[in-house]
Amino acid sequence: MPTVVVMDVSLSMTRPVSLESSEEFQRKNLAVHGLTMLFEHMAANYRLEFTSLVAFSSLWELLVPFTRDYNTLQEALSNLEDYDKTCIESALNGVSNVVQQEWGSSCPCQVVLVTDGSLGIGKGSLRHSLQTLKQRADDKKFPLPFPFPTKMFIMCVANSEELQTTDAMDNLEELLRLSGGDGQIFTMEGQLCLKSVQAMFGRLIDQAYSPFHAVLHCGNLSSDVQVFPRPEPVVVDDEVDPMPRVVNTDLEIVGFIEVGDISSPPVTSRHLVLPIAVIKEAEDVSTGAAEEPEEEVSASQMAGKSPNFCVLLHGSLKVEGMVALVQLGPDWYGMLYSQADSKKKSNLMMSLFEPGPEPLPWLGKVAHLGPISEAAENPYGEDDSKSPFPVQPSIKRSYAQNVTVWIKATCILLHRLTFQRRPRPSIR
Amino acid sequence: MFRPCTLMPLFLLLCTLVYPTPNRDPSTMKMFSVAHKTAFVVDHCPYMAESSRQQVECDVLTKSRAQGVIPLAPVSKSLWTCAVECSMEYCRILYDVYPLNKLINYIVSDSEFHILNTWRQEDQSTHELMSALAAVGPPNPREDPECCSVLHGLVAAVESLCKLTELQHEQRTVLMDTAERVANRGRIICLTNAKSDTHVRMLEDCIQETLMDQNKLAAGSDRLMAIQQCELVLVHIFPMGEDALVSDRPKKEISPLLTSEVHSVRAGRHLATKLNILVQQHFDLASTTITNIPMKEEQHANTSANYDVELLHHRDAHLEFFKSGDLHMAGSTSRDSGLKETVTLKWCTPRTNSVELHYCTGAYRISPTDVNSRPSSCLTNFLLNGRSVLLEQPRKSGSKVISHMLSSHGGEIFLHVLNSTRSTLEDPPSISEGCGGRVTDYRITDFGEFMRENRLTPVAETAPNPGGRFPADRAKAQLERYTRYWPMIISQTTIFNMQAVVPLANLIVKEALSEEDVLTCQKTVYNLVDMERKNDPLPISTVGSRGKGPKRDEQYRIMWNELETLVKTHAAGSERHQRVLDCIVACRSKPPEEEERKKRGRKREDREERPDKNGTKEPEDRAWQDSERLKGALEKEEQESEVIKDSPDSPEPLNKKPRLAIEEVQPSEKAKGPVSLLALWTNRITVANSRKHQEFAGRTSSVNNKAELYQHLKDDNGMDVHENGKASR
Repeated sequence: MPTVVVMDVSLSMTRPVSLESSEEFQRKNLAVHGLTMLFEHMAANYRLEFTSLVAFSSLWELLVPFTRDYNTLQEALSNLEDYDKTCIESALNGVSNVVQQEWGSSCPCQVVLVTDGSLGIGKGSLRHSLQTLKQRADDKKFPLPFPFPTKMFIMCVANSEELQTTDAMDNLEELLRLSGGDGQIFTMEGQLCLKSVQAMFGRLIDQAYSPFHAVLHCGNLSSDVQVFPRPEPVVVDDEVDPMPRVVNTDLEIVGFIEVGDISSPPVTSRHLVLPIAVIKEAEDVSTGAAEEPEEEVSASQMAGKSPNFCVLLHGSLKVEGMVALVQLGPDWYGMLYSQADSKKKSNLMMSLFEPGPEPLPWLGKVAHLGPISEAAENPYGEDDSKSPFPVQPSIKRSYAQNVTVWIKATCILLHRLTFQRRPRPSIR
Repeated sequence: MFRPCTLMPLFLLLCTLVYPTPNRDPSTMKMFSVAHKTAFVVDHCPYMAESSRQQVECDVLTKSRAQGVIPLAPVSKSLWTCAVECSMEYCRILYDVYPLNKLINYIVSDSEFHILNTWRQEDQSTHELMSALAAVGPPNPREDPECCSVLHGLVAAVESLCKLTELQHEQRTVLMDTAERVANRGRIICLTNAKSDTHVRMLEDCIQETLMDQNKLAAGSDRLMAIQQCELVLVHIFPMGEDALVSDRPKKEISPLLTSEVHSVRAGRHLATKLNILVQQHFDLASTTITNIPMKEEQHANTSANYDVELLHHRDAHLEFFKSGDLHMAGSTSRDSGLKETVTLKWCTPRTNSVELHYCTGAYRISPTDVNSRPSSCLTNFLLNGRSVLLEQPRKSGSKVISHMLSSHGGEIFLHVLNSTRSTLEDPPSISEGCGGRVTDYRITDFGEFMRENRLTPVAETAPNPGGRFPADRAKAQLERYTRYWPMIISQTTIFNMQAVVPLANLIVKEALSEEDVLTCQKTVYNLVDMERKNDPLPISTVGSRGKGPKRDEQYRIMWNELETLVKTHAAGSERHQRVLDCIVACRSKPPEEEERKKRGRKREDREERPDKNGTKEPEDRAWQDSERLKGALEKEEQESEVIKDSPDSPEPLNKKPRLAIEEVQPSEKAKGPVSLLALWTNRITVANSRKHQEFAGRTSSVNNKAELYQHLKDDNGMDVHENGKASR
């Protein structure tokens, strides 16, 4: 899930923070400090995330297009300049453009909006934007909700008491609701200082940027893995089953199926499954993650040399042209397979199916898939010439049986013609 | 027929990219929306027997017919026929796209109501309905119009909506405490010939009243559910050429429970179009037209023409177009005077093969709009024969992108949505760069075999269910058994590199062993004993251990240990598994004398290691290389001598003759410290000489040049044990 960091560079961000200590900070400094911490964390633990940086005041500017190069992002942060007033609506328009240009309109995105809770004045202020929400022409619609699924994190360099003295908090909550409600508003606790800003960004990291660790099991064989990007909770039916489903941290392989049998199934998301070395106590979580910082090369080389189940599984899936059916939770399944990119780099990938007992009609109910050893004779045939898949539906579809629809007058005639060797076209 | 394959590179590029999740349409997230239950009420009163006055020309064959034959007069269908045909077409499309959980209850109304089917899944098919309709027959024009009314049917429809469907029942049972989450909503589609707007209002009022009554009734019943929302769609059908007595009216709320809309439609093709639009609205369908399908005529195989076929499917297949506002660019065209929209996608060659795993974000069942038309059935047959076809979306810029794929699975055709935007997972680290990536001797082929054995197959639900577990749980249990001892790399294992162990290894993982299986396992063990006796070489890996690796008896010890480990993990499974373990333990036990010798051998090895530690690596290594080369030569010799050795009479000690010849000389020399050039030279000469003559038996089996005399007396005891082993077979 790519991230857009939207940084408020209006004048109000330059307000000094009153501190007892000798050094004087601006809110901007605090925000930059927090973002630096976020970028450092991502560089170490969430390196595959694409991040871009947008700065805004009354106008917006794309400072860094989507990248995994966190040095560039850091650099851009240190070169921020100060501009005029806050205009969140224009910034959100910017985000919408930037994301859609890069990822299209269906890729879920995370937006980290960093502001100070003074949301502009007069025309262009958030208050004004929200008040005029319903009186707009089609071409000047408020950018929220975005066409793509959004997780909106609003980082306020202000504490909640300060926000509640004005209507800022209400407006921000309305903004979050408009974005689709998925996300959170973070405020600083206590005094505004480096420590509290760290704490605030720490909470963001915990919620959205902590790597998802799991254990992949195949019977007694297992491997510690990181699943990237983090699998998001899924709500199946907001009425009957409103609790979001979360992917288990124990991923259990149920069995194996040929690629031709699973046959390009629809999936809700795809994830890399990266084997990681067992985390040593008190050591940074990053150790052994597939993307190692330079100084830890020796450790990763060590990990590279001890056999890992993921590598074995990947190799065999690739050679045999099979996928592994994996259980993610109660009545929730996915598949593991080998995925090669254009550069011949190959990887173990996991795709998630829609939650439910029967995600793919041509497999039937997953719980009713059993080992071939139970069948009286091998359903794949002795020479793999057969397959028990696809499962046939009990009733044939209209196009698969000889139905006759007589609505059109010509249909009746054609029907008569069939008795007289009606010519049939075919596709070569 | 293939168009020039200019798209090939683009196509290849697309399928290697990785793409993110699509947005889910929240409207599809309700299991019990109004779409769950649809009651069709079709008027069967005498006035429905009236002609639709849309004429059907029957006389198409005039030209070819001989003169003097009277041409056939055109015919026309009755209002009833039109209503039945169009409602059945509605059902056909619905059942094609939603084979499950979108249910229809078909009711016919004249002087009383006739319910033709139930909410049960097995009653949901056009075939069922057609047979029932055939039994009903056309309206009886002589029936008393006074006692005939569509009202009977409407009342029955409301009653029917109160009844639980299988899914509602099942979900209520599952949810228990929160059973109120299961909603009861429904839609009534009424096909009738109303007299006036007032008549329509009367019908609406009556439904409202019945709703109230039924809900009261349902409140006190376990088998009924109160209706929370009911949608009435009233279609007034009138003959062609007549004025509509009833006016169209968009959806309006009559009460919080009931909404109603009125459609006034002429019979014939107008009605068909109307119901086609309704089924799309009611079930979130959208239309796609596949263009440029190259077809050849059976009779003129050399000519080909391009055809278009229109398909209906869930509108989420167009989600990307809707969201990006690309609908126009996607080739959307309005047809039938703006009533209907379809997205045009272009038939695309090259076709795709089924072994390719496309990144697909959705698959939606389709139903052809015109199921009987020649191009349509040609396309569906093509797909049903197992072939898939990619579809491309024409864009304004002239660039093309492959956005969909048509493919059939088990007699059902699906429109797959392929992702066509940039991947957020591009350029990932290769698996070879991560943990375990540097290891090169994974048992890839063996694991492939393991995967084949652990493939899945659908198990009939009626099959006996041992322990109340699902087949998938049993599949997992099998994986557990198969992996109790499963070394991942070749150099970690001996037994799995031995063909001789295969029968046992394949059987021991089974949940239950037959008597025959036990016998096979025991035979395998005896075979191994035999191999050991013959001193056959083992495929022990030398990776990790330095130089030539362990000695043969040590190799066998490792092999037996590994085999025991494997079988031990299963021994608790059953008494028969235990017997296999017992057999191994019994067979591998050696007479104390032999054990002792082994110990001594190990001691020798220890001594061999020692000089290594004294920093004399280099010359040692060379010595090793030399001896390794010799060993190779000796091994050959050994194999040749095997023929003689096989004789049961030949004394055991002779077996190890050639190898020991070198090994025994070396340690005594090496133990003194660094190996001198002289020592190396002497070694070589001795070894070379030893090959020219048969070494004395005593010397070859000597320890530190001291030989034990009368060894054969003790060895005879050893033979006895082996023979006992054979006897127990």
